[in-house]
Amino acid sequence: MINLTINGKAVQAPEGSTILEAARSAGIYIPTLCYDEAVEVYGACGLCVVEAEGIPKLLRSCSAKVSEGMVVNTESERVVQSRKVAMELLMSAHDGDCVAPCQLNCPARTDCQGYVGLIANGEYDAALKLIKNKIALPASIGRVCPHPCEKACRRKNVEEPINIAQLKAFAADMDLKSDSYIPEVKPSTGKKIAVIGGGPAGLTAAYYLTIMGHSVTVYDMMDKMGGMLRYGIPQYRLPKEVLDKEIAIIEKTGVKFINNVKLGVDFTIKSLKEENDAVIVAVGAWKSSSMRTEGEDLEGVYGGIDFLRGVIKGNAPEIGEKVAICGGGNTAMDACRTAVRLGAKEVYVVYRRTRNEMPADKLEIDEAEEEGVIYKFLTNPLSFNGENGKVKSVTLQIMELGEPDASGRRRPVPVEGKTEEIDVDSVILAIGQKLVTDDVQELELNERGNISADSDFFTTNIDGVFAIGDATNRGASIAIEAIGEADRCAKAVDAYLNGEKLDTRVPYISKRDESTIDYSDREKQSRLTPKVLPADVRNKNFDEVSLGFTEEEAQKEASRCLECGCREYYKCKLLNVAQRYDINPERFKGEMPQKYTHDENAFIERNTSKCILCGLCVRSCREVMNLSSIGLMGRGFKTDVSPAFSLPLDQTNCNNCGLCVQLCPTGSLTEKFNLKKQVPLDENYTEEFVEIDGKKSSVLVSRYNGKILRVIPNDEISRNSGLTREELQAKL
Amino acid sequence: MRIVIGQGSCGIAAGAEKVRKALLNTNLKNAEISITGCIGMCYLEPIVDIYDENNKLTRLVRVSENDAEAIASYVESGDEKLVEKLIVSDEDSEFLSKQTRIALRNCGVINPEKIDEYVNAGGYEALKKSLCDMTPEDVIEVIKTSGLAGRGGAGFPTWFKWNAARSSEGDEKYLICNADEGDPGAFMDRAVIESDPHNLIEGMLIGAYAIGAKHAVVYVRAEYPLAIKRLKNAIKQATEKGIIGENIFGSGFSCDFTIKAGAGAFVCGEETALIESLEGHRGMPRLKPPFPAQSGFWRKPSNINNVETFANVSWIIQNGGEAFAAMGTEGSKGTKVFAVTGKVKRSGLVEIPMGKTLKDVIFGIGGGMKTDKPFKAVQMGGPSGGCIPADLIDTVIDYKALGATGAIMGSGGMVVMDESTCMVGMAKFFLDFTAKESCGKCIHCRIGTKRMLEMLDRITKGEGKEGDIELLEELCYSIKDGALCGLGQTAPNPVLTTIKYFRNEYEAHIKDKKCPAGECSDLIEYKIIADKCKGCTLCARNCPVNAITGTVKNPHVINTEKCIKCGKCYTSCKFGAIVKE
Repeated sequence: MINLTINGKAVQAPEGSTILEAARSAGIYIPTLCYDEAVEVYGACGLCVVEAEGIPKLLRSCSAKVSEGMVVNTESERVVQSRKVAMELLMSAHDGDCVAPCQLNCPARTDCQGYVGLIANGEYDAALKLIKNKIALPASIGRVCPHPCEKACRRKNVEEPINIAQLKAFAADMDLKSDSYIPEVKPSTGKKIAVIGGGPAGLTAAYYLTIMGHSVTVYDMMDKMGGMLRYGIPQYRLPKEVLDKEIAIIEKTGVKFINNVKLGVDFTIKSLKEENDAVIVAVGAWKSSSMRTEGEDLEGVYGGIDFLRGVIKGNAPEIGEKVAICGGGNTAMDACRTAVRLGAKEVYVVYRRTRNEMPADKLEIDEAEEEGVIYKFLTNPLSFNGENGKVKSVTLQIMELGEPDASGRRRPVPVEGKTEEIDVDSVILAIGQKLVTDDVQELELNERGNISADSDFFTTNIDGVFAIGDATNRGASIAIEAIGEADRCAKAVDAYLNGEKLDTRVPYISKRDESTIDYSDREKQSRLTPKVLPADVRNKNFDEVSLGFTEEEAQKEASRCLECGCREYYKCKLLNVAQRYDINPERFKGEMPQKYTHDENAFIERNTSKCILCGLCVRSCREVMNLSSIGLMGRGFKTDVSPAFSLPLDQTNCNNCGLCVQLCPTGSLTEKFNLKKQVPLDENYTEEFVEIDGKKSSVLVSRYNGKILRVIPNDEISRNSGLTREELQAKL
Repeated sequence: MRIVIGQGSCGIAAGAEKVRKALLNTNLKNAEISITGCIGMCYLEPIVDIYDENNKLTRLVRVSENDAEAIASYVESGDEKLVEKLIVSDEDSEFLSKQTRIALRNCGVINPEKIDEYVNAGGYEALKKSLCDMTPEDVIEVIKTSGLAGRGGAGFPTWFKWNAARSSEGDEKYLICNADEGDPGAFMDRAVIESDPHNLIEGMLIGAYAIGAKHAVVYVRAEYPLAIKRLKNAIKQATEKGIIGENIFGSGFSCDFTIKAGAGAFVCGEETALIESLEGHRGMPRLKPPFPAQSGFWRKPSNINNVETFANVSWIIQNGGEAFAAMGTEGSKGTKVFAVTGKVKRSGLVEIPMGKTLKDVIFGIGGGMKTDKPFKAVQMGGPSGGCIPADLIDTVIDYKALGATGAIMGSGGMVVMDESTCMVGMAKFFLDFTAKESCGKCIHCRIGTKRMLEMLDRITKGEGKEGDIELLEELCYSIKDGALCGLGQTAPNPVLTTIKYFRNEYEAHIKDKKCPAGECSDLIEYKIIADKCKGCTLCARNCPVNAITGTVKNPHVINTEKCIKCGKCYTSCKFGAIVKE
């Protein structure tokens, strides 16, 4: 045995072993991408470099042998820098999307491609479970979310984006219909957590922390849980029955709810902190913003969320027949459509830009118009004019669009001297909402008047007190933002309770340059939206407008997905190594080695633009299988892996043994799933045995949610059997 | 009388074969017409050497086939006046007289196609001495004493490699000659094989004896057809004489000899890639260890040396290790051959003792600059080497001293540059070469050199940005550290040394969007100075895109929008009226 030191640890290794073997046997990690025991060492990736005392060059540990007394450092500054640059270079030439843009654009990082694909395959329960990894209230969020995912959906470059939000609502509704999915709760940790605020942020944090085994209590000032989902969203958009069911599931996991208690009155952050191991402040933003316009304090001028809350609680304010709603966001839409339903005859939406600039969802804008709402575009209230203290009319300044502003939208500018007056009975100001600062006196606020919380760790000025959602940092935003924060905050709090600090920043992932993607071979298929109640029916009641997808519609819509994300995301070695080093491949941005190309047969898909030229496929085909069906072509940056004589793989002597796919450290070579729609899934691999010609042979079986996704030959017998994957699976 | 025509590739390219045929067509009676290899003065080719009965040499240079009759008359009459204008000048003669030739001692002297001429020059005596009077250990000891180091570039002690291969266990061993001379601008090895193939064979056989190999292989690039032809011929002759084969000189030592033509990949000059290629695989370097001395060709112990290294061996055996070691510096012994090219007045092959200075080569032998533009820098060692600026011209030719500048001794390529060469463009030229010649195996070389090239390309186009130099440097050091083989590890050298010595030129490209040397076409503009322009119209007539207008005897004007910056006007103007800015 040879004695050496690795990272200060005494290690023994048999004579003739490599540094890599010695390190691995001692549990010391050294990254590799081109190394595999099945083939001869190659030394291409250079990631396994280490430093040894007395040797000026970096050593490739996959080939350098151990020697007596050797002192090795596998993580020195020089080693880390070398690996970092290697990975930056490698990723600068790796033309692939680790995950789909929809998922990346979702503030909660919901695996949209995953659940859309599972819905397309009819795997609704699997889809729901996947959604619930990130969203505790999917039926509700599916209905109300302004779906940033769809804005990023590449299907828009073919015709229109996938209706992702409605598909989520579909999967969640299916789950609510019968035995709903209750996640497994981990054994109790004995830790207590208080969450202040039972809105989407608070409920989400409570749900995930409970699943982790902590004891969580949610304190809320209202009668019922749900926060703005309940008190800010009208019934016709989100029926309270749906919300109730989803909250009931959260309660079933073990979250304790206490309602009608108010921060600053019934308890303080400090008092909760004394009784709990951690406190999460998720109080939201419950005050309507002011427009600072003359006459705002007149009777009959209401705040948007105050108005909506009044209606929901059954004490709607008097709005009369003529109502003006100021604002162009979704709250303005909720307010105007609610006003219509309350019986108002003339409902105006006063907005200073045009329809194109409105931040509200397009569908909402259209549906409101169908219901009779009158848009007053390019107008801005100059004053609210009253009589006997009650609002009577609004003077509107006529606007026009000027140069684009910081948001990229054209700035509205007043047309000098041009005004208009409209008679109103009431005015609803839906221009934003703010934190009620009196409630959170104990916490440090930022210059915007919101709670100052660390954007990655969610910590506040008080140890053990975390803050998330509308009440923090940049202020009120959409529910899914708060949900994303809550999910990450739950992980950060869990780490805190274990005495650790967890970096919740999103690690590096590879993204394709959007401008290089070609859609010309995609067949156009129009987007499906669920049927809705007719306008003249729905504008008279608060019934849900959307009728939701039928199964057939949902599958059809889901099958439009372009499958942007990589199927090998969950087991990509390349990504795993890339995320270990703080890399920035943008520094080396340049030409990509080749066009995005596909070559596929019944089992195997080749995507050369993701290839990192580790050579494992070529070498295993030559050294293990003795076939050489694929080889290296070209030189320098244009080097490429190609089937023999540049033929399609099926026309070579390839026997589909799948070894190359198994060894490929990234998504360049993949084996298809046993699914209609190919979905990146976190498969579970097990080694199993089948009988082939009377001999026992090993195969790898991948399962997801109980279903077999792929069966891969795993020894000489199965690789050389010539059996198709279906035939192998039949033998299981 | 003997007429000898220089028929290396350089001579043939200049028209030596036509001269030979023309001479054969004359009525010469009293002279034998023969050939020799590369004489070394490439800039004077074709060269015809005339030896009289007393072996006195008259050297005629830049000869054309039209001179054949005059030469014939001169040979018949002895009247020098007939060829006066062809006789080499005293100044040019210094090109050879100032050299010390060991590896090239027979080049341009003997007929490479005749073994007898080699034998008459003392050839194969060293082999006989080694096989019959010395043990392999003795041979290695002599080489050790000589201090001979690998001439392919790395400068590794030859005896050490031989000893390692000798000590490796195994009955089958290989001795391999690396004749895959790939550096742009280097042609020393070609000259040796074309001009003195038996010297290579003799050196290799001695090496094979020393390490205990029964097989000798020459890996030579297919782009050297003449070298391959002459080497094949030499092998045949030596085999016929029993110098190659079984029981050579009755010593009991046997060795066969084969040639493998490489398909033109630069990386195959790297020893492990060369072995892969020899085995019929794609030329890609193998991981070291194991080193070829332990596991090389067909996984057998193998030793690989460069052509020039072998070309020194027979001389060392004949003259003793001490004689060789007497030349040079403490760390670098013997002589070194350089292929001097570029903006130098006299280009060609120069062999001088180590310890001389770059100035001795470039100015002493090379005669200084071709034009009136001052010397700027010299690129040593081709794409793997670096540049050495004018103020370091007194640097001694020594592995260590050259290495200290950031350049390398290299295989001997020496590209001389004057002030009209853009150093960023020069670095880009060499990097473009290595990037294309990268085998594609390791990340640092395959992608790193490509990214560096993209950056240099941007810089020369005026699209460089703040921080590019630092990023280039970072990438350079990373590639040097991380690349698998010598190709990648040395590829950054031209960039690093040009940044080191000409950082201001990089900055001028990046910050001021100017090319100080006036070479980067995206960054220059041609202008006519009205006061100097005589209105001769020559520039306008030469302009391929009609960008120059003006009337006779009046100053002309260049339309810069139309101008494609080909520089034809600039070179054609006789009055210096056109400037590059």
